[in-house]
Amino acid sequence: MLKRIPLAWLNLTHDRRRFATSLAGVGFAVLLMFMFNGFMNALYDSQLQLLNRFNGEIVIVNRLRTNMFVPRAFARRRLYQARAFEGVQDAYAMYISEVNWKNPENRKSRVVRVIAINPDEPVLNIPAIASHRQALKLPETALMDTQSRAEVGPIETGVVSELADRRIRLVGTFTMGTDFASGNGNLIMSDQNFLRYFADRGPEEDKRSFATVDIGVVKLSPGTNVERMVKTLRDTLPNDVLVMARDGENGFVIRERKYWQENTNIGFVFSLLTSMGFFVGIILVYQILYTDVADHWAEYATLKAMGYKNGYLLGVVMQEALILSVLGFIPGVLVSQLLYTAAGNATGLFFQMTAERVTNLLLATFIMCLVSGAIAVRKVQTTDPADVF
Amino acid sequence: MARVSVAWSNLMHERTRLVVAIAGVAFAVILIFMNLGFMGALISTATNFYEQFNAELFLISPETLEISTSTAFPRERLYQVAGVDGVERIMPLYSEYLLWRNPETGVSRAIFVYGINPNDPVFLMPELQGNEARRILSRPDTTFIDRLSRPEFGPQEVGTTTEADRRRIIIGGSYALGGGFAADGTLIMSDQNFVRYLEPRPLSLVNVGLVKLNPGASPEKVASTMRSLLPADVSVYTKAGIIENDSTYWLEATSIGFIFSMGVAVSFVVGAVIVYQILFTDIRDHLPEYATMKAMGYRSQYLFKIVLQEAIFLAVLGYIPGLAAALGLYHLTAKATAGTLPVAMNGGRVMFVLILTLLMCSLSGLISVRKAVTADPAEIF
Repeated sequence: MLKRIPLAWLNLTHDRRRFATSLAGVGFAVLLMFMFNGFMNALYDSQLQLLNRFNGEIVIVNRLRTNMFVPRAFARRRLYQARAFEGVQDAYAMYISEVNWKNPENRKSRVVRVIAINPDEPVLNIPAIASHRQALKLPETALMDTQSRAEVGPIETGVVSELADRRIRLVGTFTMGTDFASGNGNLIMSDQNFLRYFADRGPEEDKRSFATVDIGVVKLSPGTNVERMVKTLRDTLPNDVLVMARDGENGFVIRERKYWQENTNIGFVFSLLTSMGFFVGIILVYQILYTDVADHWAEYATLKAMGYKNGYLLGVVMQEALILSVLGFIPGVLVSQLLYTAAGNATGLFFQMTAERVTNLLLATFIMCLVSGAIAVRKVQTTDPADVF
Repeated sequence: MARVSVAWSNLMHERTRLVVAIAGVAFAVILIFMNLGFMGALISTATNFYEQFNAELFLISPETLEISTSTAFPRERLYQVAGVDGVERIMPLYSEYLLWRNPETGVSRAIFVYGINPNDPVFLMPELQGNEARRILSRPDTTFIDRLSRPEFGPQEVGTTTEADRRRIIIGGSYALGGGFAADGTLIMSDQNFVRYLEPRPLSLVNVGLVKLNPGASPEKVASTMRSLLPADVSVYTKAGIIENDSTYWLEATSIGFIFSMGVAVSFVVGAVIVYQILFTDIRDHLPEYATMKAMGYRSQYLFKIVLQEAIFLAVLGYIPGLAAALGLYHLTAKATAGTLPVAMNGGRVMFVLILTLLMCSLSGLISVRKAVTADPAEIF
């Protein structure tokens, strides 16, 4: 048993340079799959970044708001109604609007998303809000997302520019990321400032007030059953709002993700590209194994002449395939990680490598190498020792 | 002639490996084609509705990034250019999102509305031509709906009555336009109806000003005349110019440009690695032969040429099946996405990818040839 492992290993490593090239080959195939898969996940994950920062277990929105894009608000008194229930610790209001931000350097306007909250309430799990609370309470101030697109200009404390044709000063930054609904970036400001900018933007724009809220975030007391509270709120609150758990199978976050899955071709495009990366990987690994088999042609024939069965030779090639898949996967993941960071910085999208995604792709790499191994080994199996010499 | 046959024989000598090599190049070519195809399709869906606009020049506010997020500008600007030589007609176009209720499910969704003067021939769609269409458009609370709107908007039969922003609305007809990136569906209604639904929007502010020119007038020349007449609160574009403007916006705003360019770049590198592996193994296998040739007096340059020729053979042989497969995949994609992703081949892309493939293979050839070039005949034997 022990004897078998070194054969595969030695076959692969006896030419160091080629071994390195082989690993690079597998690594590139892995990189290709990671890249396309990563783009798909980033496009989906980015849509959920704001949602995942809601500091509450239950979300209340207007029934018409089927996704974050739909600008429909609901009456704030629904939040007061929700507060009356035992188990509800608090219900926070969030106001959202999109408006032009002027890049202070080239004076070009770009649309950004403004998220407004009461700075004294922990509505969002963004530490920068609490640490800039006093500054946010000053008139005409805001925090800007450092992941905003380059088009908005410099993002640092002290930048003075125009938002909705009115002066604004950045008093700090936070890190979140862009999504389809956020335009070129995100701003966070106090609800008082929100009124300053959006209460009356002229005859052709909606007039915003505290009477209507875009997103309601309900924080429950510790130990409260979320499912049951969702049901209670649904049954008692009027039909104009939709009450959903934030997380879970039927939650708000999943619903948003589903919307983008069903309404865009993102999934189709990148699944196709990922599976093509998989095929390219098969070809790359096949080349490597085939060359190896061809080089050791005579040795394999000798082994057969000595009485080793086809199964043994298959085992050797499969071991080589497995070694290649594991060792090639490591540089592939490392380079992909760099690529994710670079792509995240360039696009503002949210690239993350979760354990589940890495495991899935490792599995795909295994299969890729095994398929190539199975094709490459056929030549050995049909070898007639008598033909070789 | 003799040279070609050396390169050719080197490749042909091991058939299976040649087939795999060709498959490798072909896959790299397919990947590059798919990335470019997706990018092209996304951009063309974002702008192809402009083809149906019956105008040569477009006036928009400089704050307008693309049509769906337009800032309105004063209608007077249109009147200012109406008298410019070569202008046949000026037509204001109003646009805004409206919530459309699916009459079957009761779920509302944002739909993009174009408001036009029913007497203006703003669009080229056949359904909107003629007196009958004009009469229907002029009815109160009546709209035409885009047949290419997503099915979530519900039935589109003439006479369907539903609600738009809490007001009754009747479908009076339909057309095929497409909403681009920003809209899941579109409506066309008269400017009077537009004001009804989108109160408090005034008609004195226009989203896009369309200018129809007399036959034979040069759009560029008229545009430059207009630019000299108009103040800075409005920009003048030709049709090609506004399509370019919108495409650039979408390429950047959605990271599409970045994502697919990166896809092309990585596919290119992977293709180069595949070809490198093939050529490198080939050179190693024939090292004694190459060394013998050198000992016989052939220059390094000659070996160099052989490997480069092999690379180019691989490029061409891989490119042809790659192109064929890409055409097939384009067709399948267009079918699988029900026309929402109209991937289509064009001559420029065919040439571009061919050049890219030649470059990719030559590059690998140049890297792999070093070993043969530096081979010292004395060491081999």
